[in-house]
Amino acid sequence: MAARLSVPTTARLPSSLRVSPSNPAVLRVLNRLSRPSLLSLVLDWLDPKNQRLCPPVLRPPPENPDDPEDDDDDDDDDDDEFFDDLYPPARSLAKLQETYEDMQTRKGSRREVVDRVLEGDWRHGISLYQLAMADQQYLYDHPGSLKWACYKIAKLQTPDHEDMADDDDAPEKLDRETLAVPRFHPPTFLQNLQAEVLPDVKAHYNFDRPRGGRQPLLLLRIFVLESPYNTELAVTSAAGSAAVNRPGIGKTTTTFDVSRTIYIAFPDDSPHVFVSKPQSTGAGGSATAGETRSLRALVVEGVPKALSRPRERYALRATNLETKNLDAMLAVKGAGRTNAAQGGWSIYAAGDKAEGAVVANDSPLNALLPTPPLSVIVEEDKDEKGDTTLEASVEVRQQEAKKRKRPLDPEEAKEGKERKRSKLVAQARFGDSAQIDDGKGIERFDIRIEDPFPGLLPVEEDNEDEREADGHDEARGRKKSNKGRKNNVDASLLQEEDPDEDEEQRIPDNSTRDETARGGDKQHSSEGTNNKWRPIVRLTFHGPHVFAGVRQLVEAGVIDSARMPGWMTGEEGVSVGAVRHGRIRGHKGSGM
Amino acid sequence: MAARDSPFPDLSIADQLDNEIANLRAQVESLRKDLKLQTATLMTSESTRQLLQISTNKGARSNRADDATKQKLLERAEEHNAHKQQSLYRACASITTFKARDPDPNAVDGGSILGLRFEVMSKSRFLKPYYVMLNRPYSNSRHLRIHRHTVPQCIPLSGLAARHLPAPSIKNDGGTSKMQDLSQFVRTLRRELVRYQNRIAVIGDLRKAAGLEAKNDTDRESELVNISLAGPMAKQIHMEWSDGRSGRLVMGDDGEILKMAVQGQNGQDRETVRNLLGRSVRIEEVVKQLEGV
Repeated sequence: MAARLSVPTTARLPSSLRVSPSNPAVLRVLNRLSRPSLLSLVLDWLDPKNQRLCPPVLRPPPENPDDPEDDDDDDDDDDDEFFDDLYPPARSLAKLQETYEDMQTRKGSRREVVDRVLEGDWRHGISLYQLAMADQQYLYDHPGSLKWACYKIAKLQTPDHEDMADDDDAPEKLDRETLAVPRFHPPTFLQNLQAEVLPDVKAHYNFDRPRGGRQPLLLLRIFVLESPYNTELAVTSAAGSAAVNRPGIGKTTTTFDVSRTIYIAFPDDSPHVFVSKPQSTGAGGSATAGETRSLRALVVEGVPKALSRPRERYALRATNLETKNLDAMLAVKGAGRTNAAQGGWSIYAAGDKAEGAVVANDSPLNALLPTPPLSVIVEEDKDEKGDTTLEASVEVRQQEAKKRKRPLDPEEAKEGKERKRSKLVAQARFGDSAQIDDGKGIERFDIRIEDPFPGLLPVEEDNEDEREADGHDEARGRKKSNKGRKNNVDASLLQEEDPDEDEEQRIPDNSTRDETARGGDKQHSSEGTNNKWRPIVRLTFHGPHVFAGVRQLVEAGVIDSARMPGWMTGEEGVSVGAVRHGRIRGHKGSGM
Repeated sequence: MAARDSPFPDLSIADQLDNEIANLRAQVESLRKDLKLQTATLMTSESTRQLLQISTNKGARSNRADDATKQKLLERAEEHNAHKQQSLYRACASITTFKARDPDPNAVDGGSILGLRFEVMSKSRFLKPYYVMLNRPYSNSRHLRIHRHTVPQCIPLSGLAARHLPAPSIKNDGGTSKMQDLSQFVRTLRRELVRYQNRIAVIGDLRKAAGLEAKNDTDRESELVNISLAGPMAKQIHMEWSDGRSGRLVMGDDGEILKMAVQGQNGQDRETVRNLLGRSVRIEEVVKQLEGV
């Protein structure tokens, strides 16, 4: 390992390459972990299977030549200083395991463990493999710590002719008629990916599967160093502290500080890849945004090449889905049935046990007459709609109703009924999806509305809807349980007048209707000015679980679900989209 | 549940009552189910229907309330019969269609949806059906497009759709070259689904034949320690032997064996491949061979 001569190569960084424990990046990675997960991680390192890649410092037994330490010849010089050592090396692996298991039962600080690891048992260095494990452990402990973007692996047409293949300018054509689902083989992929990496950049790769099969995907961690060497030269720090341990290698260049980590997740049985935003491991944090973006672009460029084989070319296509929640990602782009059946359609994909699924126990051998709860709702819905229009059309009666409603007791009963109905309607629009506790929430949802200003083009259905909404706002407001509140959606949609103004609508759980009051007035002023005015309106939904928030608003009766556009249920499976004609544009059906 | 019912001395009275209530609830639930089942059976029987019809025809003299109930009963019977017929079609035809409505107020074509339901059987059981919903998004053309579906990713649905349900061409007015063929699409899709399900099932059979499903069977004679799926379309089988050999079996769409390789300590182990495959051409024959050993 301690190569005296370092030649620039294109090889990858070996997993067993050790980083000096005094390196601030190492300290940072370990200090991010909690004590329990750090201890379980250390016990993993001590597993006999892992000894090749992360051996601890052990006291060499006098008569046992078969020690795993033997191949590490550079540890011999530490042997004399054991007695006045704070953490004397253990006699055997089992002893060391015991020590750490003891620490698991004991209470203590994380600091204690980190110190023991860095200054005691792994004083000769933490291998890149160990670093990768620690980093991944952090990812499992904090699933929302990375932002993922989803890319679809699409097959390209095989060129008909050799000249076409050589022509670099020729646009790549997607092979839409292919029946082949791209297959992914990790070792081959890595080999090809390595070939794509430039020689002055060294990377360390580590594959891992989330433990316990929690998520059906394969995680690839790519750790990128800007160094031409794949030996210790690549990871030594210039800080000088490294030179204390290893006087031989006192290099002046440091590359660890500009290292980057990027994760690629390959969901099982799904032609998609999820790429994380690169994060800097180094303490410097000197990376500019452009730099990290370009690394991601590099990876996105390299992945399809690594997946491709002769006469089988692939390209990555962005899918407008970006979230921190891998579970949400898997629900939309994973292997299951839920991919193109989100929102209300989820009842068709729901498992047999799912409550409220219309098609639960949907075997043709089931003799029982199904009692779909939603059919009841739909009927009820129609009744209500009829009511509304009726009530709205006759203004006098409306006002009477308002007067009558307020003091009477039956209103409470009605409120209860309304609430129940809203719940059912929400069930109809959202199905089993968008539950606040399903752990599949996306945290940000951006929409750009490109529809012409509502109310000016009565031809289009959705616009008419909006128009009607404005007219009957009062009636509806009173009809709803929460009087005086206007529709949140309406409000936000009606605010489209302000061109170029980014509007932010926050839905934390079920609250904040600050901008609702500003809804209706502006519309009239702008009426009839221009026939095709398309203001640029951007909506951003924020929150721990955006669609669950929308659902809760529907359940609370704040949003009228009958007029709520489909994209608000999250059924399109995107996190960024442009809306035209009330639908997400360019997202043909289910992304076909 | 029943065991918990017995009064434990250490349980508080409230807990006992809670248990009792839970028990009773479960009982009510099961009784309700029974009732439903019996209603369904009675309603769909031919004799009931005849009885009901006769009495309505004759019952000119009977009072109105009675008539109303009978009318209701008849309606229910109709419903049940409709459901029975639907189930029959579904059980026999394996592809059925239905109409649905898109709840999205901005949905194309007034939210009309044509739903396709694919029944797939595995292990002599109906699996949860796969659904494909189609709509008509194109103005001035009746071409269909896939709107939503529950087909897994490993079925090349988009490829099939591109082949059999192409979008109308924008330039000319729906040229003859781009005809949509719904029945062809449905047929190929069903074929893919059934093949996929069969390939999955056969791997289960393989595991069973190798004695991997029985957990407490310690002295199994086979040295195969693991058989699992590999690759997205359930076309590759990964095998592991107890002595560290590992192998891959690649099968075609319909379960015919394309190739197999086993990697041992010293390179390829053709002996094992020969032993395992014998003269089998299809994967089912391998299952039989494993069972025979």
